[in-house]
Amino acid sequence: MQDYLPTFIRFLAVASGIGLTMAAVYTGLRALGVRGEAATGYALIMPWVLGFLIWTAFPIFASLYLSFTNYNVIQPPTWIGLQNYVRIFTKDIDFWPAIRITILYAFFSVPLGIAGSLLVAILLSTNIRGLGVYRTIYYLPSILPAVATALLWRWLFNPDAGLLNNLLRPIFGLFDLSPPNWFGNPRYVLPAFIIISLWGIAGSNMVIFLAALKNVPRHLYEAAEIDGANAWARFWSVTLPMITPVIFLQLVMGIIGALQIFTVAAFIRATPAAGKFMNILIYQAGFQQFRMGYASALAWILFALILALTLLVFRSSEAWVYYEGARR
Amino acid sequence: MARATQVSTRSRAAMLIEWRSSRYVRTLMVQTLAYLVVTAGAVVLMIPFAWMLSSSLKPLDRIFVEPPEWIPKPIMWRNYIDAWNALPFTRFLMNTLFVTLLGMGAGIFSSCLVAYGFARFRFPGRDVLFIVLLSTMMLPYVVTLIPTFVIWRNLGLINTYDPLVLGALFGGGPFFVFLVRQFMLTIPMEMEEAARMDGANTFQIFIRIMLPLIRPAMLAVGIFSFQGYWNDFLAPLIYLNDLPKYTMTLGMFFFLGGPNEPPRWHWLMAMSTVIAIPILAVFFLAQRYFIEGIALTGIKG
Repeated sequence: MQDYLPTFIRFLAVASGIGLTMAAVYTGLRALGVRGEAATGYALIMPWVLGFLIWTAFPIFASLYLSFTNYNVIQPPTWIGLQNYVRIFTKDIDFWPAIRITILYAFFSVPLGIAGSLLVAILLSTNIRGLGVYRTIYYLPSILPAVATALLWRWLFNPDAGLLNNLLRPIFGLFDLSPPNWFGNPRYVLPAFIIISLWGIAGSNMVIFLAALKNVPRHLYEAAEIDGANAWARFWSVTLPMITPVIFLQLVMGIIGALQIFTVAAFIRATPAAGKFMNILIYQAGFQQFRMGYASALAWILFALILALTLLVFRSSEAWVYYEGARR
Repeated sequence: MARATQVSTRSRAAMLIEWRSSRYVRTLMVQTLAYLVVTAGAVVLMIPFAWMLSSSLKPLDRIFVEPPEWIPKPIMWRNYIDAWNALPFTRFLMNTLFVTLLGMGAGIFSSCLVAYGFARFRFPGRDVLFIVLLSTMMLPYVVTLIPTFVIWRNLGLINTYDPLVLGALFGGGPFFVFLVRQFMLTIPMEMEEAARMDGANTFQIFIRIMLPLIRPAMLAVGIFSFQGYWNDFLAPLIYLNDLPKYTMTLGMFFFLGGPNEPPRWHWLMAMSTVIAIPILAVFFLAQRYFIEGIALTGIKG
């Protein structure tokens, strides 16, 4: 109780502070002669505006500044110019492997996840009986706590007693090989993480695809059928173009999410050489070694990477995303 | 002549039946194939769950038995009790509930307020601000993570629950604002206008008219944020230091064994099952809203 009460009191204080700010903004704007509707609008969005300034805008610039400093949290930051970045690119032996596994992970897991969930959504959109049950089963993995997921998979991938290797042992036995030491052998770490991601992300993507498929206008299919298009042609020339905006959305959100993998990677302590994704590196530098400046520089590199890939997808989208509204 | 017509009519009918039945057979085949693939996929997806449950009920030394045993002999229900008591999990549960309920309540109310402003009031710069809000959804959290930590540290609030919950008061996050706003846009203006005619002020309209109408969106936000807080691992890891203050997920992390201590798989699987149960319960109770909520957000960009 003595732990909860102070937080609860501060919670109420901050809430009242935000409420008072809203009231002050409203009265202030009204006194300046702003229309009632506009003043109310500004007042209502105040919680987000304050949040944006305190928890987004300020931290972005602070993080950029910190990335050029040496900062261990206790002493004030000291400016060291580009040293962090130079060190990361030239001396940090973990950096390039981390970049490599992070990018490869996103590169494989995102498209595979989208293709898989689209396939499931298409199959489930054919008036199957018991749709609700299937929908729930496919959705389950994505609502399970990432912590439980990570532990579960670590256990399934256990080289000696894990279920997966128990199933694979006879197959590998045919070639006189032993099944892979998944998280112990750098070669198998990436495939293992990709398998885990497919299990987890297929569900939520599937729900969104199901909704998208329902939104494709029936008359387009009828028209295509009259023109003699078979099922494959209908999929290729009607379904696919009509859902490209959703595929695009999934691709962008998928890339942003995949590049920031953390919890699963933190729980699965893979071989030190191979299991370090960018976020793990950032966590270790910042919160285990308290090199906050260095960690900020790593975070900015990751940010630049995410931004670059997102922009690339946005650029390419003009060539393949079909917006119905845009051509009317 | 008459006979010829009859024949041709009959054969046409026969052709029609044949065509229909072939179409029927084809649909049936496609359906069966779809069933098979979907069921196979579902089974594959469920195997890990079954394995988790099975492992959670085994004695530790039977876990490594080959070939794998699906039905544990004996069934160790006590694993659950032992795991719960091995660390102060009752305390962890209270901590998790405190953080989850406070954060969830704040997130729902706050996101509805902000969404109301964006959905129902015209003011200069509104659309630009909304685009700014949407684009913050794409910002990786690691960029803001370290300065945010520094802010909390300078406020002297590390090792308290404040960093985990107070942020939710500031609009609850762009995704929630977006979701609620989209939902509000589908609600006709008439009721609010009528209430305004009757002399209700904006706050009364928001509480009495708007909130009851957007209950499905609130529920969706509630479930999402319940899931987010309940499953959160990174924030407790960074902000909480004392073992009694840990949340469930964090408690499990330190359950994993260390350099000199092997992981206790049976306990880990038992606690994984326990931690998943509330989420599953919430999902089953509110599945429809959950999926509607996602579908709504996924489509109407």
